[in-house]
Amino acid sequence: MPQPAPTVGIIANPASGRDLRRLTASAGLYSSTDKASAIQRLLAAFGATGVERVLMPTDMTGIAAAVLKACAGPNARQQHWPKLQLLDLPLTQTVADTRLATRRMVEAGVALIAVLGGDGTHKAVAAEAAGTPLLTLSTGTNNAFPELREATSAGLAGGLLACGRVPSSLGLRRNKRLLVEVPEQQLSEWALVEVAVSPQRFIGARALSHSDDLVEVFACFAEPHAIGLSALLGLWNPVSRQAQHGAWVRLNPGAEQALLAPVAPGLVQGCGITASGILNPGEPHRLSLACGTLALDGEREIEFAACDTPTITLDTCGPLTVDVEAVLAHAARHHLLAVPRGHRLHPATPC
Amino acid sequence: MARKISYQQAINEALAQEMRRDSTVFIIGEDVAGGAGAPGEDDAWGGVLGVTKGLYHQFPGRVLDAPLSEIGYVGAAVGAATQGLRPVCELMFVDFAGCCLDQILNQAAKFRYMFGGKAVTPLVMRTMYGAGLRAAAQHSQMLTSLWTHIPGLKVVCPATPYDAKGLLIQAIRDNDPVIFCEHKLLYSMQGEVPEEVYTVPFGEANFVRDGDDITLVTYGRMVHVALEAANNLARQGIDCEVLDLRTTSPLDEDSILESVEKTGRLVVIDEANPRCSMATDISALVAQKAFAALKGPIEMVTAPHTPVPFSDALEDLYIPDAAKIEAAVRKVIEGTRSAA
Amino acid sequence: MSTHLSPEQLLHAYEVMRTIRVFEERLHVEFATGEIPGFVHLYAGEEASAAGVMAHLRHSDCIASNHRGHGHCIAKGVDVYGMMAEIYGKKTGVCGGKGGSMHIADLEKGMLGANGIVGAGAPLVAGAALAAKIKGTDDVAIVFFGDGGSNEGAVFEAMNLASVMNLPCIFVAENNGYAEATASNWSVACDHIADRAAGFGMPGVTIDGFDYFAVHEAAGAAIERARSGQGPSLIEVKLSRYYGHFEGDAQTYRAPDEVKNLREQRDCLMQFRNKTTRAGLLSPEQLDAIDARVADLIEDAVVRAKAAPKPQPADLLSDVYVSYP
Repeated sequence: MPQPAPTVGIIANPASGRDLRRLTASAGLYSSTDKASAIQRLLAAFGATGVERVLMPTDMTGIAAAVLKACAGPNARQQHWPKLQLLDLPLTQTVADTRLATRRMVEAGVALIAVLGGDGTHKAVAAEAAGTPLLTLSTGTNNAFPELREATSAGLAGGLLACGRVPSSLGLRRNKRLLVEVPEQQLSEWALVEVAVSPQRFIGARALSHSDDLVEVFACFAEPHAIGLSALLGLWNPVSRQAQHGAWVRLNPGAEQALLAPVAPGLVQGCGITASGILNPGEPHRLSLACGTLALDGEREIEFAACDTPTITLDTCGPLTVDVEAVLAHAARHHLLAVPRGHRLHPATPC
Repeated sequence: MARKISYQQAINEALAQEMRRDSTVFIIGEDVAGGAGAPGEDDAWGGVLGVTKGLYHQFPGRVLDAPLSEIGYVGAAVGAATQGLRPVCELMFVDFAGCCLDQILNQAAKFRYMFGGKAVTPLVMRTMYGAGLRAAAQHSQMLTSLWTHIPGLKVVCPATPYDAKGLLIQAIRDNDPVIFCEHKLLYSMQGEVPEEVYTVPFGEANFVRDGDDITLVTYGRMVHVALEAANNLARQGIDCEVLDLRTTSPLDEDSILESVEKTGRLVVIDEANPRCSMATDISALVAQKAFAALKGPIEMVTAPHTPVPFSDALEDLYIPDAAKIEAAVRKVIEGTRSAA
Repeated sequence: MSTHLSPEQLLHAYEVMRTIRVFEERLHVEFATGEIPGFVHLYAGEEASAAGVMAHLRHSDCIASNHRGHGHCIAKGVDVYGMMAEIYGKKTGVCGGKGGSMHIADLEKGMLGANGIVGAGAPLVAGAALAAKIKGTDDVAIVFFGDGGSNEGAVFEAMNLASVMNLPCIFVAENNGYAEATASNWSVACDHIADRAAGFGMPGVTIDGFDYFAVHEAAGAAIERARSGQGPSLIEVKLSRYYGHFEGDAQTYRAPDEVKNLREQRDCLMQFRNKTTRAGLLSPEQLDAIDARVADLIEDAVVRAKAAPKPQPADLLSDVYVSYP
């Protein structure tokens, strides 16, 4: 049955993929040109699945400009890309831009938001997305929350779901999250993958990629096949995204046993493990360290001193995300992408 | 009788002897070895005309092929010179100075003055100049006057294999940036060159022919053309003094003035274009400081105010030759006969 | 990458940044009186970059700066009295009054000069890095250029050369958002200057230039990499200048409250003070003492510079060459 023509939002973080791990590890670069290309792949898939309109914020690095230009080109016409509408918002070139764009999209009632970025970008979008589902796409080499996936096929899944052609109960999954609270600083932040406790006193260059810099790691989920700190936990004490609990691990370079883990792209390090355990929802955890920094999803964001008492609490009310594999498996079972002769994208239909 | 080698071999020998003597000397330039990263021979070229051939294997790690990026490697040579090394960088053709002029004009030349006398930049930039190889406008010009105009640079234009070796060794030992100009038509010229190490000082012109009737001042390849003219004129009873400047900065003003004081007549020969050239500079010098000695007007024999043409029919016309010099000399002599 | 700084190191970092700030703000005031000749480009606002990078260097490491060079000079240890006198065109200046603001250099301190030619320092430090490599030392060489300089061919050629020759060379792009009066968002074709590194086969990172610790950590990683023979890298430091391109620039191209907001919300000195005192690593009294000492130093430097003699007529002709017959 026909659904109302849906609108989808797209947010690509222009700043992602340039942190210190290019120097300290072998992390790659995901340029704005690459991001603009990935968005064009999404648009092709959205157009094919019936998305009528796409909202996108402007940016200072030419992503929106390149997409706008492509939207006027022959590919856009032939493949019936959705109509692109740019959100002209004031830009600060900080994470505030991502959060504001998300709010505007939610207000505009988008069916879902496609996010191109790393764990940090997804965290920022999730903080504002309320119940709006996210189609997550990794644009870096060090991400655990968004999957590293080709944008066209992810876009097909997102488009089918946005157009109501796959039931939400089947195509969406609820994620866990970690609440980080520092009452003395009136701070309350969410992490989507993990929170690492570091003896480093300052946020500095943000990225954490050395096992020496880790004292504790708390994780919503821990997949052994991931990269970064959640992989460290995943290789010791794996927890699936679906499980109701999380996990934690305590580290010390002097430990009897060290676990070799890919803590950053190209960096497999021995991490001395002294204790680990389960993280149950709603149970606040205090830290074993008196002062240091907290890295949320891989980047140091919070400095805490002796006067602070940070806590970390697991919660099962995180963002809804598109389960690309489940949606496309459903689409295959029901031939959802089959089109009759006369359809605008049927090969026999004249251009 | 000393052994004879070519101008090119003399330069190669000077480089080898200085590199052997002083471990801070190194060579950098485009294809100064040739073959970097390529599957064939290392030191495949030894410079585009083979001037640095053989040094690569003699001095491992000190003969550096650079990417074709004149700003990058000439600038790097300038930077290395400030750090206690003595780079000899090769700007393949002087025409390429258009690419890297800033690093010479605004950096190397000015450091000492701008930094209040605290910088030492012992850079040598070897570069090929001059017309005659049918290499056309962007591989043939002379920019000697441009370099000479810039305070802070020293400019050397050897005319013989002997001078090429002695002046290059002097240039490498010199503590200021030196532009060392090599005429491509001189590379094969043979001459007597002592095997031992020697220097030829800067700012000392060479009286290559003594004469009483007229002074011919020139430098570089034109020294030989002037000598040819002088020999022809001698058969006509005109006795030319030929002065090879060797370096245009510093300029041996005393020798020029001394000769003109003696002969009272001056022809300046310069392969470069005429405006704001060494020819006009020397003419002005003599007009200012030895006017009273002059018996008549100064003549200049230079290239015309055009780029270097390609076709042999035009390039041969472009380059000053003995006939033009002889005509200029005769003109001066005839114009001043009554004064004689 | 551990970056645990001792109290001494923290105090030194603050003193360097504070000295730059007060030096520049004083010049801003003094320039308006008409007593300072020529062009002056102030570094105020960007202090964390110079201080964060230079904290890892020794005298034998070489840096080249640009027209906005006072901060780099101070952080590299050039004498503040000599700098002030130089800017006033006095005989007692570090360059004897012959260089001025745009050409302050001190080769003994590894300061290869501020530079009036945008991008020109990049090939020079490639050469200094080459010299270190030839001499077999583990010295590094660093060039500071801006978003404007990042568009210069000289920088591209130097990056290529440094990468081809695997030189211990670091390219620090201080992206303050404006090349003279033109926005870097417009003039830099790629999205981030750091991305240009990939085209030259070296890593590139973008760092918050308002945060001393971010710069310090990134520079430390790049310098350690270069010292250990792993070659060049590019650090894009995103920051802002608090004054115009040059003194006298009305800055009508900037947003009205741009600088005010940055000063109030992101200022590097303010952040440094807040972070170090909250962490209990330094006390406000220690920092106040530095403030007082720096204020006295700059006051004294200005007084002495004003009273110093000008160069003599004979100085016009000296120092062109080491020797010239």
